[in-house]
Amino acid sequence: MEECKNQVLTLTVNDETYEVITAPHRTLLEVLRDDLHFTGAKESCGEGVCGSCTVLVDGSPARSCLTLAVAVEGKAITTIEGLARGDKLHPVQEAFVTHHAIQCGFCTSGMILTTVALLQENPRPTEAEIRRALSGNICRCTGYAKIVEAVQSLAGEER
Amino acid sequence: MEKYAYIGKDMKRIDTSLKATGGVLFAADLSLPRLLVGKVLRSPYPHARILNIDTVRAEKLPGVKAVVTAQDTCGDKWGVFRYTQDQQFLPTEKVRYVGEEVAAVAAVDEDTALEALSLIDVQYEVLPAVFTIAEAMAPEAPQLHEVYPGNINIHVQIEVGDLEKGFAESALVREDTFTAPEDAYFMAEPYAVTAQFDTAGNLEIWMPNAGPHLKAKPLSNVLKMPLNKVRVRKIAIGGAFGGRSEISPADVICALLAKKARRPVKIVYTREENTVATRQAHSMITRIKTGVDRDGKVLARDITCHLDGGAYSSTGPIAVSVPFLCMEQAYRLDNVRYNGYRILTNKPIRGMFRTHGRAFACGVDLQLDLLGQELGLDPLTMRLRNARQTGDYTPTKSFVASCGLTETIQQTGEKSRWREKFGKLPPYHGIGIGCNSVQTGFPMGIRGGSQALIKLNEDGGATVITGIVDNGQGNDHMIVQIAAEELGITPDDIQLITADTEVTPSDPGSYSMCETFIGGNAVRLAAQDVKKKLFKIAAETLGVGEKDLSARDRKIFVTENPTQSMSMAKAVRIGLSRNESISGEGSYWPNVDSKREWVKNPFGQLSETFSFGTVICEVKVDPETGQVEVLEVTAAQDVGYALNPKVIEGQFEGGIAMGGQGGMLSEFLQWHEGRVLNPTQLDYLVPLAVDMPKINNIIVETIDPNGPYGAKEAGMSVAMSAAQAYCGAICNAIGVDLHEFPLTPDKILKAIEEKKSKS
Repeated sequence: MEECKNQVLTLTVNDETYEVITAPHRTLLEVLRDDLHFTGAKESCGEGVCGSCTVLVDGSPARSCLTLAVAVEGKAITTIEGLARGDKLHPVQEAFVTHHAIQCGFCTSGMILTTVALLQENPRPTEAEIRRALSGNICRCTGYAKIVEAVQSLAGEER
Repeated sequence: MEKYAYIGKDMKRIDTSLKATGGVLFAADLSLPRLLVGKVLRSPYPHARILNIDTVRAEKLPGVKAVVTAQDTCGDKWGVFRYTQDQQFLPTEKVRYVGEEVAAVAAVDEDTALEALSLIDVQYEVLPAVFTIAEAMAPEAPQLHEVYPGNINIHVQIEVGDLEKGFAESALVREDTFTAPEDAYFMAEPYAVTAQFDTAGNLEIWMPNAGPHLKAKPLSNVLKMPLNKVRVRKIAIGGAFGGRSEISPADVICALLAKKARRPVKIVYTREENTVATRQAHSMITRIKTGVDRDGKVLARDITCHLDGGAYSSTGPIAVSVPFLCMEQAYRLDNVRYNGYRILTNKPIRGMFRTHGRAFACGVDLQLDLLGQELGLDPLTMRLRNARQTGDYTPTKSFVASCGLTETIQQTGEKSRWREKFGKLPPYHGIGIGCNSVQTGFPMGIRGGSQALIKLNEDGGATVITGIVDNGQGNDHMIVQIAAEELGITPDDIQLITADTEVTPSDPGSYSMCETFIGGNAVRLAAQDVKKKLFKIAAETLGVGEKDLSARDRKIFVTENPTQSMSMAKAVRIGLSRNESISGEGSYWPNVDSKREWVKNPFGQLSETFSFGTVICEVKVDPETGQVEVLEVTAAQDVGYALNPKVIEGQFEGGIAMGGQGGMLSEFLQWHEGRVLNPTQLDYLVPLAVDMPKINNIIVETIDPNGPYGAKEAGMSVAMSAAQAYCGAICNAIGVDLHEFPLTPDKILKAIEEKKSKS
């Protein structure tokens, strides 16, 4: 088997450019966490089921545990660390905090980024649309009720 | 002025802004200079003798910095109790389940570590194995441990009252068997541990845990290190649900690797490892015989329960007892016998689980429904006739200081419109009810109490130091809320140092629902202690009595004349300049019977107080597919007093998801010869956002006489009642009583078809 050669990769993460040297088989999640220290993206299942590793690639949610780092060169990657502006939380982050949508916090990054993408695409989702959009993100703590409430508060149809 | 500034209010949790920004570190997020990757070699066999382990080739692989086997351990067997010391963290003689730890490596990266594992040569002599309770109890069955003849690990035996008389006087007696396979925690965070030694030989270690002191002591024992050199550090925890209360082999292995490599090591479990090699929930076979009088009052109950404990004891004595204890707390019962057996099999180790005992609790509750049906009494009436009351003693002699079970039954009944619905719903619609009760701690030996310290700063701010653990439920906020309330300062004025064995005093851990009651009381007492010192200073300065003072908004003021005041900061500074102590200490030891013991003496005060809950569930079953649509769930719990109502609602909702939606509809481990076939979220079906029904939360407050502000615990009785409500609703919808849980579509469909073919 031919040895995989390391590549120099230019990644744009949260509006900043990083050069990393990486083997081509490494995932975006590995590069984000281990090389660039954006540890907000989590590995929970490692097979694209749970959504904890969700980041935005050109504004769309992507499973960074299934995405090769080399595949997203030149694209705009947003991680949870890139949402707040200084001390001011992004409205989705604020809604999650206010509505008690966070317990242990392990799924939170993925949940919030999925919500950001949902609201970008559909600013006034119904409850059913919210539940469908979030069903690729598994939360074991909350039973989802407060997460759905948080998203609804931004969709202008608070219960 | 309102009675409380913070207590009882819907407050934003202090920890969640950081969690929302990705700023909180979990154990897998840690990085340290020269950190190595640790990986564990696991047994491929359910039962085998280890003949030889050859690590030479692995050690020679470039990049490998340490390899450990049983030879690097002290060889001691560990157990939660003296009489359950049966597990070596790297076994010397035998492996007893697929996935048991055999050896481990630390290397410069993951690929090297995995390659090194493949170079370790282990020679096994494969032994016959047992995979079910029946196989394990068969006369000639292979034995897992010499010390447990017949593979009977634990037998808890309880008999109270006159069982024969109770059954003789009963108008109706039923006997049924209920079963359920293993379920799993699936906390979001896979287990991870990072360890390093400093040059003085001190161990620093980070891992998700329910109590750092519960980790430090066994680590100290098996690593043969003094306790003060084992420093379990605070780290964010991605859920526990009962599964992170004990020491893990990974903790010991990581420490051994770090010591041998003289470099920090991190082990991060895969999802599969987290499912197989941490803990699982017991499978159960429960036989219940219950006798009732014509009014539906239970006169006698005889229960035999067999739990499949897997390969080692873990918290076995507790696990065998808790399903029974919850139910003896929930319902009045004068004549009862319980025989609980924990049986060892060649399967992964089972521990405590948040919704422990679905076969048990659903059995008790479904049988009440069935007895009621024959007597012409609906399930809600059956619950009200048997509900525990304040001032009662449980059969095993715990005094019940506060009990709002009846209120939870009545209020869920009203909210769900039970009387309008039960027996009047359209075909294949059903409604069901479940009740349960949990303790707030139990006798935990020397670690049964909690101690807290408070340090005041010269600007009036405070640092609270306590061993309380937050594994996601919001305990850190609870500490701040109590301290801010008592001290009369704001939550922003408070810093926390928690769950660090080098610094924080002893605490039972976030275990058995005790942190609010025991840890919360200790924090409150510490705050009162230091407040008293400040009031003494303020009273002298303001020329009033100490009893005339109150504290709020960073001020100490005369209660009757709030304009007469001084700042907290000023009182602190006066204290400092006078060389007076301005620190607070608090300790709380719950009123439990220390002579109570799970097996030898299961009598006496188990816990100082108990919570009580009721869940009602309404479902629609599709008779063509067996699919269940949950229309609405209503949950109520007597929490004592709601310190932060939104936090409690979150616990109810999460408990319903895990206990009811997952626990009764979809969650179970599948097996082939001791191997878990569904160890990941792809195959083990935890509820998703689309699955969850509308939930109505009802908080019932009884103001416990000894809880902090009257609080008890926040949601476990709901979590423990949800499965029964789901089960009752489905059985009500299809008109068949089902005894094998969870109630998956195949079982429901089969029951519907059998019923059709009979009629």
